[in-house]
Amino acid sequence: MSKLRETLEAGAFPVVVELKPPKGTGVDEMLAVVKALAGRVTAFSVPDNEHAKMRLSAIAAARLVQEAGGEALVHFTCRDRNRLALESDLLGAASLGLENLLLVSGDYVTLGDHPQAKPVYDADSVQLLQIAAGLMDGHDSAGLALTGSPAFFLGAVVIPEAEPLPPQLMKFEKKLAAGAQFFITPPVFDLDKLRRFREHLPEAPVKLLVSVKVLGADEVAQAAAGQWRKVYSLPPDLVNDLAGKEPEDILALGVKAAGRLVQQIRQEKLADGVYLKAKGRTDLFTQVLDAAGF
Amino acid sequence: MIIAERKPFAEIKAMLAPYKKILIVGCGTCVAVCLAGGEKEVGLLASQLRLALGLEDKRLEIGEITVERQCDLEFLRPLCDFTADYDAIVSMACGAGVQFLNQLCSLHPVFPAVNTTFIGVNNAVGHYTEACRACHNCYLGITGGICPVTMCPKGLLNGPCGGTVNGHCEVDPEKECAWSRIYHRLELEGRLDNLREILPLHPHNRTTTPGTVIHPAYKRRYGPNE
Ligand code: SF4
Ligand code: SF4
Repeated sequence: MSKLRETLEAGAFPVVVELKPPKGTGVDEMLAVVKALAGRVTAFSVPDNEHAKMRLSAIAAARLVQEAGGEALVHFTCRDRNRLALESDLLGAASLGLENLLLVSGDYVTLGDHPQAKPVYDADSVQLLQIAAGLMDGHDSAGLALTGSPAFFLGAVVIPEAEPLPPQLMKFEKKLAAGAQFFITPPVFDLDKLRRFREHLPEAPVKLLVSVKVLGADEVAQAAAGQWRKVYSLPPDLVNDLAGKEPEDILALGVKAAGRLVQQIRQEKLADGVYLKAKGRTDLFTQVLDAAGF
Repeated sequence: MIIAERKPFAEIKAMLAPYKKILIVGCGTCVAVCLAGGEKEVGLLASQLRLALGLEDKRLEIGEITVERQCDLEFLRPLCDFTADYDAIVSMACGAGVQFLNQLCSLHPVFPAVNTTFIGVNNAVGHYTEACRACHNCYLGITGGICPVTMCPKGLLNGPCGGTVNGHCEVDPEKECAWSRIYHRLELEGRLDNLREILPLHPHNRTTTPGTVIHPAYKRRYGPNE
């Protein structure tokens, strides 16, 4: 069974770190993170052409992660594949021993590095969850029986700071109904916002992994210039503290802030685990884990 | 209606380079409303061509005519006799009109003078926006009269993506998120229950091109289309 699932179900506060599959075939750097941290974190998350920027196949990267001794959480985006490809890739992932999935709609193509590509979205994220749940039940989306069905641990995204929130909550309910077993949020910096969001969660036990991110200099500059356009907010105090500092100093302060957030989220039980984003860098992940007391 | 944009002049001029006598055919319906290919635009294109070729000391004889609807056989058929004298025909209709004309006037090359862009609405003079992708399975009754297939760039059927920022779309921050609008509208109408059910995968087989529709009353005449 998936270690991520076991850890979540045991209430043991898993830590997932997000890798950056290479743009190219040079996987050494990505796998070095796995080798360095496999004993310290629960799973390694592998985005699927994140931000619509073409990178090494998430399924292949996730398999390499497992061969290097880590457990993978592989993302599936609806943007790049129709239902046939989604389903056969889901079966392919299962046959390679991949169990943890994060099923997402996917950032739009024009925001990425192949803006002229055809966007697919044959399924949306709710329908993709249904498709994956159907495969687990032994049938494909056309209702045809499978020979051998996969075992997945199905993850989905929820946006605590969505504005407006009600349509997001409606989608969240649909994802639950479609078979989502755990949820991951975008980065959270303002825990009050997370506390308020938690009031909307249903009674049913839902496993929530909250993302904690180490900010980079580019992001701080963007926020300081008033050009922040993301689905999560940055507290003005944090931006003021970091703005204008040297990139390495920003990272160092960002690591401290991330460590504090992880600690607080854990102490206050604001989530069942955390999902760390730190440019896919071992040194930053290690420092955050140290700062958080892991 | 169908919205189109006039092709760049240089492209049209290059297409017509080999010919001495051309007929420009406008269309009096959609492309006239969106100021791309109606009677006025036929005149404009003809003058542009005359002027440009005159400056190069070249001769091009240009005929001009506009029919009510180039996508309609009834209006198009009378034109056929008229086209015989020309080397080439330029259609200022949408792609459907161009092809219909091409089919009927089989002895002449037919060139498009517009780029057909979408099915949309006329917000105000010169301002058109897309509204329907002709998906063959209209959801508007469920989604509060706002099209999730067209107004959401991802065509999501079950709610907003994770990219909505302040009710605006991740793809174009100038535009409202279709799903914020759908939700808000249904809330106002007291019909949010519409969004409880998960909409199934879209039946894309219905949009296999080229589509055919036969009105039920004419099934006997043309045979079933399914
Ligand atoms: S749902 Fe949208 S695309 Fe489909 S027919 Fe209705 S308006 Fe057109
Ligand atoms: S922000 Fe709204 S309209 Fe834009 S892609 Fe996402 S769901 Fe669709």
